[in-house]
Amino acid sequence: MGKHWSENRKKYTLSLIAIAGLLLLWFIVVLITDGRGIETEVQLSTYYTGLFLVGCLYASMLFADLGSKTRGLNYLVVPASHFEKLLAALFYCVIVFFVCYTAIFYVIDIIMVKTGNSLLYNHWLKTHAAGDVFVPRKVLNVFISPGEHRNQPGFVFYLLLFYFVLQSVFILGSVYFAKFSFIKTVICALLIGLVITFLIAKLIVPILPPGSYHNGINSYEIYTVKNTASGDGVMIYSDAATDKLVALPEWINPVLLFLLKYAFAPLFWLATYYRLKEKEI
Amino acid sequence: MIDIQNLHFAYRKKPVFTGLSLRLQPGHIYGLLGKNGTGKSTLLRNIAGLLFPDKGKIDVLGFTPGKRQPSFLQEVFMVPEEFYLPDVPLWHLVQYHAPFYPKFNQAQFEKYIAEFEIPSGSTLQNMSYGQKKKVLISFGLASNAAMLLMDEPTNGLDIMSKSQFRKVMAGTLDEKKCIVISTHQVKDLENLIDRITIIDEGKILFDQTVDAISRKLSFQISFDSEEIAQALYGESSLRGAAIISRNTAGEESKLDLELLYKAIVLNGPVITSVFKD
Repeated sequence: MGKHWSENRKKYTLSLIAIAGLLLLWFIVVLITDGRGIETEVQLSTYYTGLFLVGCLYASMLFADLGSKTRGLNYLVVPASHFEKLLAALFYCVIVFFVCYTAIFYVIDIIMVKTGNSLLYNHWLKTHAAGDVFVPRKVLNVFISPGEHRNQPGFVFYLLLFYFVLQSVFILGSVYFAKFSFIKTVICALLIGLVITFLIAKLIVPILPPGSYHNGINSYEIYTVKNTASGDGVMIYSDAATDKLVALPEWINPVLLFLLKYAFAPLFWLATYYRLKEKEI
Repeated sequence: MIDIQNLHFAYRKKPVFTGLSLRLQPGHIYGLLGKNGTGKSTLLRNIAGLLFPDKGKIDVLGFTPGKRQPSFLQEVFMVPEEFYLPDVPLWHLVQYHAPFYPKFNQAQFEKYIAEFEIPSGSTLQNMSYGQKKKVLISFGLASNAAMLLMDEPTNGLDIMSKSQFRKVMAGTLDEKKCIVISTHQVKDLENLIDRITIIDEGKILFDQTVDAISRKLSFQISFDSEEIAQALYGESSLRGAAIISRNTAGEESKLDLELLYKAIVLNGPVITSVFKD
């Protein structure tokens, strides 16, 4: 960890300053063009757009050294296991980046929300009617969706999960592709996404009999199929009395859901580990 | 220490080694010589675990290099021809990089740095290529790794630095260490290496100790036409002919590595036949 920090601290410090500068610039543009202060929707979309863009860009550069013969050699001959090397890289990319980005976002966000509020207040003093109450913009908790119930994970929770999965894809891409890792990973991810969509639409869906998922993905209701009176086709309709239900054990539903939520990122980290092990320079 | 058996290696479809076998022992400085593109660097990378053999077996200190276990990497230090060092102060290198090598000796490192005349408080960012290379060599030597692999270590070093390099290297070998120096600048290694291994087209063309070479061969300048005609190999020059002949008198002559190298590449079977007697 110390070695990683010693070799990359200049790069990281400059990157964080650049992120802070871009966030500041963006909020200034919003304040100038919008005139309604920094609204919560703007804060939320800014935080996640920045997180996805910068986080994935950084992840795609995590193992960029392996694309260079000299730097890659320097990295691979360090007497540490592949697991330790991966762990150090993940620590900086997944945890440190997330914490630093969030901290920087809040520093800029708090300053700009307050600046926006004082501008709004000055405007309100000049224009408000009697009885009007000034409502300042609030600094948003970006980890809770607006209007979300605290005990139930909402949109933001799934967005964060998706971010970590996407970031892990870009980490894997940084080991696979020596150059232009970000672009190549985007293209590959899109192609794989298209292939999966095609397989589902053209292979799996036609194989399944007419019907729909009944109660989660572990049960499938097959609809009744009847010939039409004229004999020129079939009629498919749902009839509780005649429909058939194919149900897998109930535990499959929560297990699949858990895997969909939490297994993808570790799976891509594992793939990164094996790719790192087999890397030759 | 290093046991290579039937090594096969190819870059895509271009074969480099097709059945190379080699055994290197501790307590020696091996000179790995050969033309450009004959596989010297590839061999070193296979030994260091940076490339994996297609077929055959490499055993280094009881490890399989390709697994790149930390205990193996602690004992093998590579000084590549083209290298990268982070732009950090020298003390950072010692503080953050040295702990990976349990036998690293800071006093030794400082001694080598002083011998190479590198200011100890300097930053790698401000150093020339040659200075950086000397830092890397110093670090490698101070790591006290059992196996030191050097690929063209004198490339990029000026005349004074080459002399410093030879001086530093001469004082570093002990019976537990094995140093392999790959180069095509054979003059730089004279008086330094004690075993010469010449590779050509992925095969070992010649592999003898300097002692054996001195016992069996005689290197001299001759003006005697009959002696020149009977020599195993000869090259005419302004000062007569530089020749290699059988050492029948039992007197040791100064090894001319460049001449020997050319003789083996151009007239290998004749030279190697001397060592079969």
